[in-house]
Order: sequence, then C-alpha cells, then structure tokens
Amino acid sequence: MSDAIRRMKDLPSTHLLGTGTPMCAGCGGLEALHQIYDVLGTNTVFVNAAGCMTLLSVYPFTPFRGSWLYTAMACAPAGAQGVRDALDILLTSKRLPPEDDLQTIVLTGDGAAYGMGLSSTSAAIDRNLDFLYICYDNEGYGNTGQQSSPATPHAAQTATNTGSRGFPGYKKDLFGIWAAHRPAYVATVIGAEPLDLAKKIEKAKSLRGPRLILALAPCPTGWDFDPAESVEIGRLAVRSGVWPLKEYIDGKVIHNHVPHPRAPVEEYLKTQGRFAHLFSPERNDALLGEIQAHIDAYWAAVNK
Amino acid sequence: MYRIRFHGRGGQGIKTAGRILGTAFFEEGFEVQDAPIYGAERRGAPMFAYVRAARAPIQERGVITHPDLVVVADETLVPVPAANLMLGVTADTVLLLNSGETPDTWRQRLNTGATVIALPVADAITDRAALPHIGTRCTGAAARLLGVISRAALERALRTELRALDDASLKANLDEAFRAFDAMAAHEGVVHEGAAISARAYEAPDWTDLPFEPARVAAPDIFAPATSVQVRTGLWRTMRPVIDYAHCHRCVWVCSTLCPDSAIHVRADGAPEIDYEHCKGCLVCAAVCPPHAIQAVPEHEAAKIEAGGAG
Ligand SMILES: Cc1ncc(C[n+]2csc(CCOP(=O)(O)OP(=O)(O)O)c2C)c(N)n1
Ligand code: SF4
Ligand code: SF4
Ligand code: SF4
Ligand SMILES: [Mg+2]
Repeated sequence: MSDAIRRMKDLPSTHLLGTGTPMCAGCGGLEALHQIYDVLGTNTVFVNAAGCMTLLSVYPFTPFRGSWLYTAMACAPAGAQGVRDALDILLTSKRLPPEDDLQTIVLTGDGAAYGMGLSSTSAAIDRNLDFLYICYDNEGYGNTGQQSSPATPHAAQTATNTGSRGFPGYKKDLFGIWAAHRPAYVATVIGAEPLDLAKKIEKAKSLRGPRLILALAPCPTGWDFDPAESVEIGRLAVRSGVWPLKEYIDGKVIHNHVPHPRAPVEEYLKTQGRFAHLFSPERNDALLGEIQAHIDAYWAAVNK
Repeated sequence: MYRIRFHGRGGQGIKTAGRILGTAFFEEGFEVQDAPIYGAERRGAPMFAYVRAARAPIQERGVITHPDLVVVADETLVPVPAANLMLGVTADTVLLLNSGETPDTWRQRLNTGATVIALPVADAITDRAALPHIGTRCTGAAARLLGVISRAALERALRTELRALDDASLKANLDEAFRAFDAMAAHEGVVHEGAAISARAYEAPDWTDLPFEPARVAAPDIFAPATSVQVRTGLWRTMRPVIDYAHCHRCVWVCSTLCPDSAIHVRADGAPEIDYEHCKGCLVCAAVCPPHAIQAVPEHEAAKIEAGGAG
C-alpha cells in the first residue's frame, strides 16, 4: 500500500490513464478521472454506462491499463454485480489468487447516476454489493448535446431549456439519496481540488461495500466556457458554496471545507454561457436572488 | 448543383456555418441540403459540414466527393490526415483558406491545380475568443465566392440561424460575416456549379469479405494497456502551452495533476514536460501555473519557429 497522501506534494507524479482520449479539451470529468485512477491503480474493472466517457474505450483504443466493460445506460450497477460475483467465484474456487483480485468500479455520468440508473443503483446498495461508483456530474446529458438531467441546476440553459428562465427544476440531492441507504461511504469531490479528491479516493479504496464518489465535472462544451477556465470554475463552485465538499461515513455527514467567506454565487454563474441569460439583456435579480437564497439556506443548516 | 464542404474543428461554429449558407441559398430560392459530419471526438477535433444547393430537387445524398468549393476554417488542419481536406479536389475546385499565407504558397504546399484563395486575417486564431466567429467569417466569404447570394439574403440567414444569440454576439457575427463578404468582392462568382453526377458513374468500392467468426474471436476486445496513446490528440491544438523553465518553480503537483489529459509528465530531474503529441491545447496549465511560467503560443507560429529552428 502506498503512503498516505497528506500534502499537494504527495500527489502521484506518475499518471496511469493513457493520453489520446476523445474527451473535449479542458474536460473537468477527465481531469477528475485521471486523478482518481492514479490513486485507485490498475487493479480495477470499470463498468461504464453510456455517456461521454463511453468514448474513452472505442476499439481498438483505450486509456485504461486494467479492464473496462460497457453496459446499457441504466444497468451499470447490475453489470458490476456480475463482475463482482464472477471474481468471488474465482477467488473461492482458488482459481484467482487473492492478490490478483480486482476492485469493481462503476463509472457513469449524472444522467445515469441521478436518473436512468438510480433504480439499479439502489438495488445494488440494498444487496450490499462491494463496489465503488464514480459519477462525473456535468449536470446534463452531455454526450447527446447537453439536454437537462435531474442533476441540472436551477435556471441553467440546456438544449432542452432554451428560454429566459432556463431549467425550471432543482438539482436532485444524490448525495442524500445514497446516504439514506446507509452505504459504506459517500463523498463529493472535484478535479480542481486534487488533494481533497485524493484523500477521499484513498479512504474509499480502504473500505468495502457500496461507495459513491460524486465529482462535479465542469464541462466547457455543455456549460459554455473557454476550456482554460475549467479549473478556476471548479474552484469557484467550491468557494461559492455551490458544490459542498463533504463525506458520509459511519452514519454521519462531515463537511470537509466550509467556505469562509463564501463568494457570491453570481461570480460562479457569470463564468458560464449557460447562465448568461441571468445577466443580459438585463439582470434577472429575482432569479439570481432565488439561487443565492438556496445556497444560503444550505449552509445555514450546515452551520447550525 | 453547388457542392460545398466546410472543414474546421469542433467548437469553431462549422456546423452553423453550413446551416447559415444553406439558409442563405434557400432565401435565394434554391433547394438545399446541409449536414455536419463529426465522429466521437470533441471540441478541437477535425470535423466538416457540407451544403448542396440546386434549382431543382436534389437527389444526391451523402458526403460530397466532388466539391466545387472547399472552405478551410483553420489552416492547422492541412497536415491532419483525418481532416481529409483534399478529398475530390480538382482543377475545377475553389479552395478557400483562412490563412495569413499567400495562395501561391498553399498551391505549392498542397500540390494542387485548384484555384486557391486566402481569407487573410492572420490573428484569427491568436485570440481564442474569436473562435466562434470563424464559422460565420467562412460563410460570408463563401457566399461572395458563389456569387448567387446577395448581402440581404446572407443577413436574413444569419439572423435566422443565430437568433438565440444576444445582441452583442449577433452583431459581432454579422460584422465578421460582412467583412469577409466584402473582402471577397474581387472573387465574386469564381465558384461554378458542378455537373450532375450520374448514378451510372458510381463505382462500388472494393469489398473485403470477412469470415463470420465466433464471438470469442470477433468481439472487439482490447488486450493491450493504454493503447489510446497511439491517437495523436496533439493535432487538435490551435494554441500551444510553452513552459519557460527559467521561471518554473517545479511545483509539478499543480500542472501535472490539473492537466485533464495527463499530458504533463514529471521528468527525473523534477521538472514538468509537456507531451505535445497529446496535449489538446486547453490551456488549463497556463491558467493554473502559480508563477505564470506557461505561455500560450498560436500553434501555427510555434510550428514555424520549430521548422525554422530545425532548418
Ligand atoms: C437507455 C438509453 N437511452 C438513451 C441513450 C442515449 N444516450 C447515450 S449517452 C446519453 C447521455 C448520458 O448522460 P450522462 O449519464 O449525464 O453522461 P454524459 O453524456 O453527460 O457524460 C444518452 C441519453 C442510451 N444510450 N441508452
Ligand atoms: S461534453 Fe463535457 S463531459 Fe463530455 S467530454 Fe466534453 S467536456 Fe467532457
Ligand atoms: S505549475 Fe508552472 S511553475 Fe509549477 S511546475 Fe508547472 S510549469 Fe512549473
Ligand atoms: S494545454 Fe496544458 S493542461 Fe491542456 S492538455 Fe495541454 S498540457 Fe494539458
Ligand atoms: Mg452528464
């Protein structure tokens, strides 16, 4: 086992995920995945539901050094059950030495994690499946042109919400839904905060049972910003309190970082074309106020 | 029938360029077909769009292999095999390149008898904010070369297809399109309609028979690790990050961790090194480098410096 990661300097300097993937330049999801992979290592089987990251492995090219397998959009946790069962049979029948065992990883977007695949996820947690679920959350159906998903934030414009008020719904609380199942571990991360991310992956790796890593994934294509801004937008998501960095473990929720002072959410919203309608042709103070009030209410409850 | 192909990269507005030109043709009473073609790859990867326009119903389908006009939005695509710019280009084709270099240079470089026209705005890709306007520039220029699209029809098409934009962006696009339209005045009507292509002239490709194999053999399994390194995503780049080692603090955990593409290695001496075969040019590294030791250089200039340095 590697030494614990405590400081930025301890972050892995050898990168395991291959270059040359078809993800967009500046993809926040790929940034998180490569950091996660560096810590998880190559003793992994990735079970991937349809989404942008399905395109990581298009025959004959793959960036993975371990195994990868593709399932239909709603079924990745069911696929993971099959993989885990097969590994367990090989282990008990002594056809696989324990040191060659593989970690079973589910990798999906938010469309699958918050929506289409939620029922098979819930069932897998109920069965106490030993797996790590990684969701890169770009807040929409990115691969098909950024239609809204249950992870889309209030008022964001998407391919299916082009009006002046954007998406009418509210982002679903997937962290809370997972925690309500009382699984082994749930954590939010973001590629722009690599130290927090690496520590959480180390912790997740050391545990058994159902575990979720939920990574906010700034998406230059779907959110409409210059790819160079990807990390700055991720940091702003944390500083403004839009994306709380937190963990659920042993029945408790811990906030790893309480932003103080908290940046006004406007600073975050202004960086992205999907929110441009809140500022021009004229400011929509009512909607901006509503978004800010939501975030304030969240942190007021945390700080109680 | 007019057959036009626009080549560019994802994110440059090439799909929209094709649509605008199609709508402008339609405004002039033509029958029109337009479609973009792109693969699994994303922003920055080569893609193209095509437009057919005729005074009679269009029966032809599919990718244009006998173009009358080929528009190249981004000259860095020329050496990219996947872009396939020269597909079907003959002496009757007009080739319009967004480029600071002369048409003669391009005729020689491409070894083509085609009529080459340069749309000279050299700073086009120095400024990343201008990227979304490249498409509309190309449309404006193409419209003038065709000679059958009036300024008024072009404007109506732009306003229709860009109606989702705010006033300032719409105006910037209109200005860009008309500047290109005006710049091409001397070449008005240089593109000629291609002749009808008879279905009888169709040549079937050479088929390769594949035996029907069991799934164990035929399933697309990959048995080698990290084969993606064979894909040269460095060709997507329009801007190149260059490390100034004199000012680099060797805080590699910053740039090498935050590069989304794992394209910054840490050398044995602890210094960062950019893998230009694969760096996509997102410039995240330049944005996050604490002492600002990474500069962004337009790829065509960097390539020139490299060529000069080698020679
Ligand atoms: C059952 C099913 N419905 C629709 C699709 C088409 N589809 C492919 S990828 C995708 C979007 C997935 O969104 P998300 O899970 O958020 O991943 P992202 O594309 O954003 O990476 C959709 C709708 C599909 N593959 N399967
Ligand atoms: S659309 Fe967004 S999530 Fe998908 S590859 Fe591009 S940047 Fe990444
Ligand atoms: S972040 Fe900048 S200063 Fe630090 S190692 Fe990278 S290039 Fe050098
Ligand atoms: S520009 Fe920098 S961050 Fe982006 S792919 Fe290239 S090396 Fe990585
Ligand atoms: Mg998504």
